[in-house]
Amino acid sequence: MTDMSLNDVCRKSDDIVAREIEGEMIIIPMTAGIGDMEDEIYALDEISLDIWNRIDGIKSAGQIAQELDAAYDASLETIQADVLGLLGELVKRGIILT
Amino acid sequence: MGSPEISKTTLTDYMLERKIGAGRVPLSFDFELTARCNNDCGHCYINVPAEDARYQEEELSLQEIERIADEAVAMGTLWCLLSGGEPLLREDFDDVYLSLKRKGLLVSVYTNASLITERHVELFKKYPPRDLEVTVYGVTPETFARVTNRPSGFSQFQRGLNRLLDNKIPVRLKAMALRSNVHELPEIAAFCREHTKDYFRFDPLLNLRHDRDPARNQRILAERLTPEEIARIDHADLERSEALRKDCGIYIHDAVEQEDCAHLFHCGAGLNSFHLSHNGQFRLCGSLCAPDCVYDLRNGSLREAWTQFAPRVLAMETTDSEVRRKCIHCPIFNLCLWCPAHAYLECGHLDRWSEYFCKVAHAREAALKDRLG
Repeated sequence: MTDMSLNDVCRKSDDIVAREIEGEMIIIPMTAGIGDMEDEIYALDEISLDIWNRIDGIKSAGQIAQELDAAYDASLETIQADVLGLLGELVKRGIILT
Repeated sequence: MGSPEISKTTLTDYMLERKIGAGRVPLSFDFELTARCNNDCGHCYINVPAEDARYQEEELSLQEIERIADEAVAMGTLWCLLSGGEPLLREDFDDVYLSLKRKGLLVSVYTNASLITERHVELFKKYPPRDLEVTVYGVTPETFARVTNRPSGFSQFQRGLNRLLDNKIPVRLKAMALRSNVHELPEIAAFCREHTKDYFRFDPLLNLRHDRDPARNQRILAERLTPEEIARIDHADLERSEALRKDCGIYIHDAVEQEDCAHLFHCGAGLNSFHLSHNGQFRLCGSLCAPDCVYDLRNGSLREAWTQFAPRVLAMETTDSEVRRKCIHCPIFNLCLWCPAHAYLECGHLDRWSEYFCKVAHAREAALKDRLG
């Protein structure tokens, strides 16, 4: 897990393509080092997609959590932890950059 | 809020799990980027000289390719194969390749390797193709030159292939079994198995020309092996022989489907894939070149080709009782090269029996039964 803070601002890598297939978002690596096997992709679940759609190179992790606070029935602390957890995973895999 | 999850999987597993493409969806397309080639192989169904200006002028531009690819992606396409001719002859190959990758397509490339430069190596290292396949025509300069009609061909092929292998770019190697190289086939197979990234396959079945050029067809006929030779090499190669034996139920059916279906197309063409020719023709498969079966994407849309035109082709029927009896309901259909597309290339009709195909299939059946004891 990458150490992320609520002040971190992330942007999507130019080396991936996000595609929607029948209502679901998948991430297809374009370059070596992101997906190293044939046809390797990443699939986002519904909550991940909600976070993914807010990654724009402008909003901080904390701001993303704040926006989601209104939509989800969970404490802000829980949402912040989930957002940081996902962003950390995406950074580790090279799908987003800080 | 539950925990957000990102799961790593393969596209194939993802699609199988969700049954994506269960209906008629154009999941993949083969794109013949050019018909031109720097080799002059006698067995080739498509090649024209590298410097052929008329063919070069006909080729789809990058802009046209992007328009078609955008439509394909919007319709759900995920895989694209770039072939030729020799696709690396296109000066804008890198741009086409990257443009398709940027659209989220998983792009594979077929090449003869002889035009691979350091630039291509860097491109493929940074942006790996899904598959990179190279045909090995011979493993000696003499045989290679006999097949490709290019005296210096072997050294150029070796240089290109070594560039890929030395840089650890995975390459799948394959071969054609031809009159000009059949004497060397065991050595070709050994070479391929030593260097291929996963498996090796060879193909002894030659289609006739897509342009139906009689003189060029004579060269293909001269490269075809006899049915008996094909059956023999099927079983001389232990791996292939074992695969045929293991899957014999697929190749030899006990009973023939009795329903007297008049539909011509019983293959998978046009169900989840299509073919795009160098000049923008939409086809259900690469070999289906009959004029009634092609749609000009320069004067129409992929959506119309897929949703309106293709179903009309798939609904075509035959009244030829011989082809219904001998081919469409044949119990060894899967050992045969016959299909409406190949029948058209063979004799100008989608629904004609072919003596050569039939003899090959029966020779293969006899050899397989012999092997099964």
